[in-house]
Amino acid sequence: MGTIVLDGKEFEVDGDGFLTSPEIWNEETASLVAKEDGTGELNEKHWAVINCIREYWLEKDMAPMVRIICKTTGIRLKELYELFPMGPAKGACKIAGLPKPDGCV
Amino acid sequence: MVEKKYQPALDIFDKMLHGKLKTHLNSCVHCGLCGESCLYYLTHKEDKYIPGKKVDLISAIYRRYYTLLGKTVPKWVGAKDLNDETVAEMVDLIYGACTMCGRCSMHCSIGVDIAFLVRAGRSMLVEINKVVPGLQSTVDAALNTGNNMGIPRDELIDTIEWIAEDLEMELDDEKATIPLDKKGAKVLYTLNPREPKFFPLSISAAAKIFYAAGEDWTLSPDAYDVTNYCYFSGDDKGGAVITQRLVDKVAELGCETLVLAECGHGFRGNRWEGPNYINKSYPFNEISIVELIVEYIREGRIKLDPAKNTKKVTIHDPCNMVREGGVIEEQRFILKQAVSDFVEMTPHGVNNFCCGGGGGQLAMSEYAERRIKVGKIKADQIRATGAEIVVTPCHNCIDQLMELNKEYKLNVEIKTIGEIVADAIVI
Repeated sequence: MGTIVLDGKEFEVDGDGFLTSPEIWNEETASLVAKEDGTGELNEKHWAVINCIREYWLEKDMAPMVRIICKTTGIRLKELYELFPMGPAKGACKIAGLPKPDGCV
Repeated sequence: MVEKKYQPALDIFDKMLHGKLKTHLNSCVHCGLCGESCLYYLTHKEDKYIPGKKVDLISAIYRRYYTLLGKTVPKWVGAKDLNDETVAEMVDLIYGACTMCGRCSMHCSIGVDIAFLVRAGRSMLVEINKVVPGLQSTVDAALNTGNNMGIPRDELIDTIEWIAEDLEMELDDEKATIPLDKKGAKVLYTLNPREPKFFPLSISAAAKIFYAAGEDWTLSPDAYDVTNYCYFSGDDKGGAVITQRLVDKVAELGCETLVLAECGHGFRGNRWEGPNYINKSYPFNEISIVELIVEYIREGRIKLDPAKNTKKVTIHDPCNMVREGGVIEEQRFILKQAVSDFVEMTPHGVNNFCCGGGGGQLAMSEYAERRIKVGKIKADQIRATGAEIVVTPCHNCIDQLMELNKEYKLNVEIKTIGEIVADAIVI
């Protein structure tokens, strides 16, 4: 368990850097996580992916399949991996404030 | 006497206490050679991380409850009660500081199977609900939903169809499909759920290889998960439930061969551990897709052009498939035909270092910091090869390597064997 500091406030994250309280997520926590994990400045396409993941998660309580991310945003798979060098799980889902998915990620 | 809440751990220990466990628990001579073979000890240089010390945690409990001196004068013989303190120590070191990579067992001066003892310790912890929550969550997902990421059936099917459409376009042949639940298919293939969920390019690579080889194959949306995290947690009962799903599906579809996707523990869990979980040998063949690709090349069913992969490539050996699984030369045979510049790490093969993500570590955020720290040994090995691409037949290793790539600025691409073969294939 660690913390990230934003605007002087500390937020708890798990050992992999996922927010332990996903409800505190906002655009600023997203930008901060993106900066830390090497994704860098978030552009329009990043936000389209992040919003897609976030909305899906709020509705269904799980991360969307990568097919749904591509279909909803119109971004092709290879470009998605370029946008998020840490991949859809440890990159995009983490930035979108989701809890860490189960499995080999 | 042990506290009531810890009695189930001793009960399972009692059941497991057959010849092998007793022998290995009583054999460590504390020579310390295992220390120098272990990622955790080499990284931290603290005695508690020496594999022999992890064995001591369990043998101290054995002595306390099973030997005369341990029962009467425990302190004289280093016997310890199973109590809050020893349980906490076991959780921290047996789950949190071991990838069950088995390198210590290879180097042990008298052949103690340390990884086997660590798993026995994990089995004790399962019985008293002390599995690290991150790991248990993945086990629960697999037991409750049929796959370790909780992927709903219809979403799996949508993803497979999506990949198949792309493949059909790429190969410009409507026969390039991914058949679902095809009765009588020769091969039933499997997936690591991470593939359909987030990284489906390895599925299209496998489909392309099957297409090129003219294979009669199928996937089942109801039983495809190659992983068995119960191997990591120490839960043989859950392990049997998960193993049985694939066994039943092979029988239902009438397939000849179950082909395991690129997954280190999935290979070991199904190929070597599964029959023990269900207490029955399999009435079908079971091989890794890596072994199948070798067959395709040898039989001339696929042709590879190494000129299609000109970057320098190295291979990372997944412990459970190589040191613990016996698939050692196959991946090298393939790479020598699929790439033009192949370089080995030092050491490699059965003596390879674990990436740090094995043993369920990747699922345990609780120990993520340790995982990245011990992974530096692998990162240094990769850097020393000068390779631009690291290939490994394990999705779990891939995820750890992706993190090491970022943390240690390796600037490499990471691929499965199937992906590099698909890139080299001549159709």
